[in-house]
Amino acid sequence: MFEIFEYDFMQRAFVAGIIIAILASVSGTFVVLRRYSMISETLAHSALVGVAVGLVAGFNPLWMAVVFAVISAWLIEYLRSAFTLYSDAVLAILLSGSLAIAVIIVSLGGAFNNSLFSYLFGSILSVSSEDVVTIAIFGSISLGALLLFSKEFYFIAYDEEVAKTSGIKVNLLNFLLVSVVAVIIALSIRVVGSLLIGALMIIPTVSALQFRVGFLKTVIISLFIALFSVIAGMTLSFYFSLPSGATIVLCVLFIFIISLIANNRR
Amino acid sequence: MKFRVPIFDIKNLSFVLKGQTILSNISLEIFCSEYIAIIGPNGGGKTTLIRMLLGLEKPTSGEVKIYGKKLSNFKEWHKIGYVGQRASHVDASFPATVLDIVKMGRTSQRSMFGAFSELDNQLVNDAMLKMDILDLKDKMIGTLSGGQRQRVMIARALASKPEILILDEPNTGVDVASQKKFYALLRELNKKEGITIVFITHDIGVIADDIARLFTINQKAVICNNPKQTLSCEEMSELYGIDAHLLHVHKHEH
Repeated sequence: MFEIFEYDFMQRAFVAGIIIAILASVSGTFVVLRRYSMISETLAHSALVGVAVGLVAGFNPLWMAVVFAVISAWLIEYLRSAFTLYSDAVLAILLSGSLAIAVIIVSLGGAFNNSLFSYLFGSILSVSSEDVVTIAIFGSISLGALLLFSKEFYFIAYDEEVAKTSGIKVNLLNFLLVSVVAVIIALSIRVVGSLLIGALMIIPTVSALQFRVGFLKTVIISLFIALFSVIAGMTLSFYFSLPSGATIVLCVLFIFIISLIANNRR
Repeated sequence: MKFRVPIFDIKNLSFVLKGQTILSNISLEIFCSEYIAIIGPNGGGKTTLIRMLLGLEKPTSGEVKIYGKKLSNFKEWHKIGYVGQRASHVDASFPATVLDIVKMGRTSQRSMFGAFSELDNQLVNDAMLKMDILDLKDKMIGTLSGGQRQRVMIARALASKPEILILDEPNTGVDVASQKKFYALLRELNKKEGITIVFITHDIGVIADDIARLFTINQKAVICNNPKQTLSCEEMSELYGIDAHLLHVHKHEH
């Protein structure tokens, strides 16, 4: 029954997947509450530019994904605060812009191959030991930052102006939050894929919100939904030879539908 | 006579937005333990003035000093409790209990790496007790009535132990009975605890007996040092830019 754990690549995938489930769900809570849901899609596409540069130039694609996602996150925050642009329009512009740049880079560099495909949709087979170490190190730092300032992020999500007037450095913390989210997204695209990571970040929180409970309980429920979806998704993908990212997303969607029906019948 | 340093010292403050003058050359002072009401027509600049006091908007010209310091040098923001217009209109699906919300009032003062301390929890408890919402502490904010939500927002402001409470029409959408209780509470906070109150409101008649001074804001500021004296029809007409007629209100003594 446990032959799944006899394979080294599955052990690595499970470790990476569990770390990503924790990171995506905890950061996702703040992203959803701040009404930033679309930022995850945009940053995932920006991370893809990093992957493209990494593949073509021969750098570690995961590290490059982190760098490009963080730069994109800062650009988004800067554009939102410096100009009174509509924030969803800023996200849409950067999303398509990033994708276009990524496609041009890989096409010029002749890197249109399975490797890029695995970053688009995620692949448990491709998670290396080096990836697991990178995910663990950056993941711990990101989680630490989220937990350290969780009360501030929560206050800002509820009422940004009152948070500002109470002395909280809102602009600085907004930059920190988007940076942490960028790092988490970049780390996640190995397992879930850049086209699907948004779902793992957003859907567990939206499902948890259906339970209409306080903040801490919402985070915990969201965490369990993400963990269950990642573990179930990976197991199913192993036994039925399905793409890992898509299977994980279908699992989390299934839980979302169940929680929607169960909580709205009460 | 005792020399008093104003909490807020506003000099020649103007605010122009896209060529339109919102506030013009406003100078006023707010002293410790005063109860000040601000009235004026919608769009007259009341909220803009408050936002400049709180550093949320930068004045086009002029200066705001707070406890004798420039806004940019002021750090003790916990001394100011602010309850905005949106107080009673919360997102019903936001995952927050009453306790979660009131604790936000301690967020900026908690120690860097720590959870909330005993003192933080005590102050949160005291604020809920004062606002009579202790029995609601585990209720979700979205399930409360407008009046209850309003009390939660004031409790959050009180949890930071403020010396001044700034309220921008937090009672829109709140029923009359709750409003009456709310005014009594503000009076108590001002009289018993000495908290300075700056209150933007339209219900000037109801709180006329409580307030020390009245600021009427419509681009310019008119300061009324004796608010119990009814504002004349001419003054009201000038302030609101409409024809005002005196209304006789009969008070029933109990």
